Amino acid sequence: MAVSVAERLSAVGTANALELRGVTRLFGALAALTDITLTVRPGERRAVLGSNGAGKTTLFNCITGDFPSTSGTIRFFGEDVTHFPPHERIRRGLRRTYQISALFTGLSVIDNVYLACRGVSRGRYSLLRPRRNDASMQSAENLVQAVHLTTVKEQLVSELSHGQQRQLEIALALAGAPRFILFDEPAAGLSPTERIELIEILTSLPPHIGYIVIEHDMDVALRVVESVTMMHNGRIFKEGRPEEIESDPEVQELYLGGGHG
Amino acid sequence: MALVETANAVGPGSAKAESWSLTSTFQAHPVLWLLALFLLILPAFASNFVLIEIFGWAMILGMIALSLMFLAGYGGMVSLVQMTIAGCAGYMVAIFGTTVMTDISLGWPWWVGVPLAIVIAVIFGTLSGVLAVRTEGIYTIMITLAIASAFYYFTLQNYAIFNGFSGFNAVRTPVAFGVDWRAPVPFYYLILFWAVLSYLVVVYVSRSPFGLALQGVRDNPRRMEALGFNVTAHRIAAYAFAALIAAIAGVLLVWHGGQISPGTAGVGPVIDILIIAVVGGLSRPIGAFIGAIIYVMLRTFALDALVAVGLDGKRFQLLIGLGFLLIVLFSPDGILGLWARWRARMQRPNTHGGRA
Amino acid sequence: MNNFIGRHPVWSLVIVILIAAMLFLIFAVWPPELEQVLGRKRIFLSALLNGITLGGLYFLVASGFTLIFGLMRNVNLAHGSLYLFGGYFGYEIATWTGSWVFALVATFVIVALLGIVLQFTVFRWMEGQDLRQTLVTIAISLILADLMLWRWGGDFYQVPMPAWLGGPVEIPLVTAIRSSGELVYLQYPLVRLVILLGAVVIGVLMWLALNRTKIGMLIRAGVDDRDMLSATGVRVQFLFLAVFAFGAGLAGLTGVVGGTFQSLQQGEDIKILLASLVVVIVGGMGSITGAAVGAVLIGLADQFGTVYMPTYAVVLTFVIMVVVLALRPQGLLRGH
Repeated sequence: MAVSVAERLSAVGTANALELRGVTRLFGALAALTDITLTVRPGERRAVLGSNGAGKTTLFNCITGDFPSTSGTIRFFGEDVTHFPPHERIRRGLRRTYQISALFTGLSVIDNVYLACRGVSRGRYSLLRPRRNDASMQSAENLVQAVHLTTVKEQLVSELSHGQQRQLEIALALAGAPRFILFDEPAAGLSPTERIELIEILTSLPPHIGYIVIEHDMDVALRVVESVTMMHNGRIFKEGRPEEIESDPEVQELYLGGGHG
Repeated sequence: MALVETANAVGPGSAKAESWSLTSTFQAHPVLWLLALFLLILPAFASNFVLIEIFGWAMILGMIALSLMFLAGYGGMVSLVQMTIAGCAGYMVAIFGTTVMTDISLGWPWWVGVPLAIVIAVIFGTLSGVLAVRTEGIYTIMITLAIASAFYYFTLQNYAIFNGFSGFNAVRTPVAFGVDWRAPVPFYYLILFWAVLSYLVVVYVSRSPFGLALQGVRDNPRRMEALGFNVTAHRIAAYAFAALIAAIAGVLLVWHGGQISPGTAGVGPVIDILIIAVVGGLSRPIGAFIGAIIYVMLRTFALDALVAVGLDGKRFQLLIGLGFLLIVLFSPDGILGLWARWRARMQRPNTHGGRA
Repeated sequence: MNNFIGRHPVWSLVIVILIAAMLFLIFAVWPPELEQVLGRKRIFLSALLNGITLGGLYFLVASGFTLIFGLMRNVNLAHGSLYLFGGYFGYEIATWTGSWVFALVATFVIVALLGIVLQFTVFRWMEGQDLRQTLVTIAISLILADLMLWRWGGDFYQVPMPAWLGGPVEIPLVTAIRSSGELVYLQYPLVRLVILLGAVVIGVLMWLALNRTKIGMLIRAGVDDRDMLSATGVRVQFLFLAVFAFGAGLAGLTGVVGGTFQSLQQGEDIKILLASLVVVIVGGMGSITGAAVGAVLIGLADQFGTVYMPTYAVVLTFVIMVVVLALRPQGLLRGH
């Protein structure tokens, strides 16, 4: 954890956003991930596809540190984060959304976003209420506006519709200055109009922010990414550009033929 | 945790999230103004007994229950060690100050002994938090209960520092700035000051980044980690904050009784604080004080009430147990929950079957 | 076990050395220099056996407690009350019928029935509300404690021991050598050995039931993952009833046992509950083996503490708990 600022700066320029080498995750005897080696460049947009149980969410959990990996190394913008707890990885610019919205149901929308902004800035333990010109408060307001939730910002999360909750879920991942985001099935349960909005949000993200999308909806996924990684049974079995993957016969048989999400 | 959530979800639109300014709390609940006024002028017409043994005692217990509410209601951590922290502070006051036990008590002035006592109690509370927070939520109640009983047994068996079974008697409240602070009216205002201050501070802090983060940790600790918060550190900090309130109450506690012994923070009182906090309601700070006044009233008048209905006056614990059982079964969010549901019903008398 | 040795070589060495030292202390004749330092070997052996038999008692209570928590996530803080109630009830039955064994069986049945009533009428409706269930158990323990105080007061009660359990037994461990060269063996109360044997038998039967029967497999699956259990379609409520009844009945039965070689009085419910808490924290929640290990550890700490550090015997127990919590919060035997 004691990497000098100079080292970090030099690493940022040349390093990959995300680099996994030999990452394995065992649950007892069950191998959820086996020998995952993956490289994502800064600003790259990638989809991770695969049938249920392929290990996609486990992959995310290992990258964020929700579960420690059993073996292997993970580098984030050149820094070895393999043994960092989740909050250390997040403070370095990693963000994540959850397949099932992980929101703070006892708090209001603006509170949720405010926490997200606070989490990656100073003053997390501040006992003083934020003033009117508080920076995190401003960012929170802007973010709420960006995901079209301003009208409901004072409402408790438990009172939002499913689509609104998914929007809030995305807002939380955009807080602060993200450098790389992991989206876990962002389109799950969205109506067609909401899907279009989602695609808009994803494609209009600033170009320096890279992301990985897990999706079952191939339409959404292939439209917002420039590269695809296919997983099966905890391993990566194919990588390539969207068109290549779409037309690949092995993929079609394995993914579209059987075990359709 | 149904004990907290139910109070929030009373009906669509009716449960607005807490707003940012402190004064709006008072605007939303005008009854608080009346209560404040009542408490301020109470000495004018109440007897010393009512002042100290009813309201004073209730406010002290309320403060300790408040520290439990802070951890349980805002943090999702039901800590049974709060009464022990108060007891620890009380013991330290006795040891550093002047008591009948001249071979142990150091006789230091109060402005040295009291702050030191509070610091030690806060350290004790923080360390208890360190032990309790690294496990799942449901273990907290077990671990803190075990720590509380460890303290009880230690004070019971240690004679060198804690004077064992007898504890300390004749703990003197200081005379400072020309005032005898144990005289009924000054002591009442002293307790009132600290109770109101701790209440206001808790209400204020609940909307600060610290307080909001704690509530976030309660609702979804995994998400808080994924937002950049060190969840374990926040929980421990919450224990430290709550310990401060309990410690101050502990000082007032030992001055109130003039004595402290292992039984002061035994398993009985430890559970009593939990009952007070739950019966009042864990969702808002005022619940702690509501529970406390009910408990004190019961304690004071139950004996006569029981005898009046022909029961043995000694069956007080049975009464408490039954009352607690009823609350947990039918209104787990306590009196506050009952009140919130009643208010919601009153607001929509024409909708058939309002949210009960 | 090879895994453990491989991953923790230092700890393994420490444990081996400790075991070797213990074996020496138990089986060898103590030279006078050793007795100068540690006191009489007879006292040491008594403390050791007392600790193990007390551990047996703790195991019987704690195993029910840990099972109920492991499967139903219910921290049953009324467990101590069930123990004490069983003890009092067993006392009444034993003095009324004169049969100790009958008292054991009757108490198990009655307290198990009480457990069924509680689970069926109260806890069933609070599925998933762990905290609320625990609060209810606190209320129940308060009510039971006061009712018991009302009925039996604050006196000491001792369950009358049957004649065939009385008296000492000679154990083939040498405590001393007489000047004539004759070996002196340890005399130890039979009743304690029988109770220890009973605890071991019950423990083994429980282990077999959990690991070799279908119902046991369901319980273990439920302990690991409760959602998965309901997905198997088995009648979960029936399983919960059975487990709660068994845990409660076992606590009550242990009350009779404890009332036989110790005594019963007001406040014993809290003491045994706290002991169970510490045992389970140390051994690991939801683990029967953990309860066994924790119970023996705590029993030994309690007895050795009473003999060698009388002022701080109880504190020693809690110190062990604190150390475990600090280093391995999930308990000694629980995985993650």
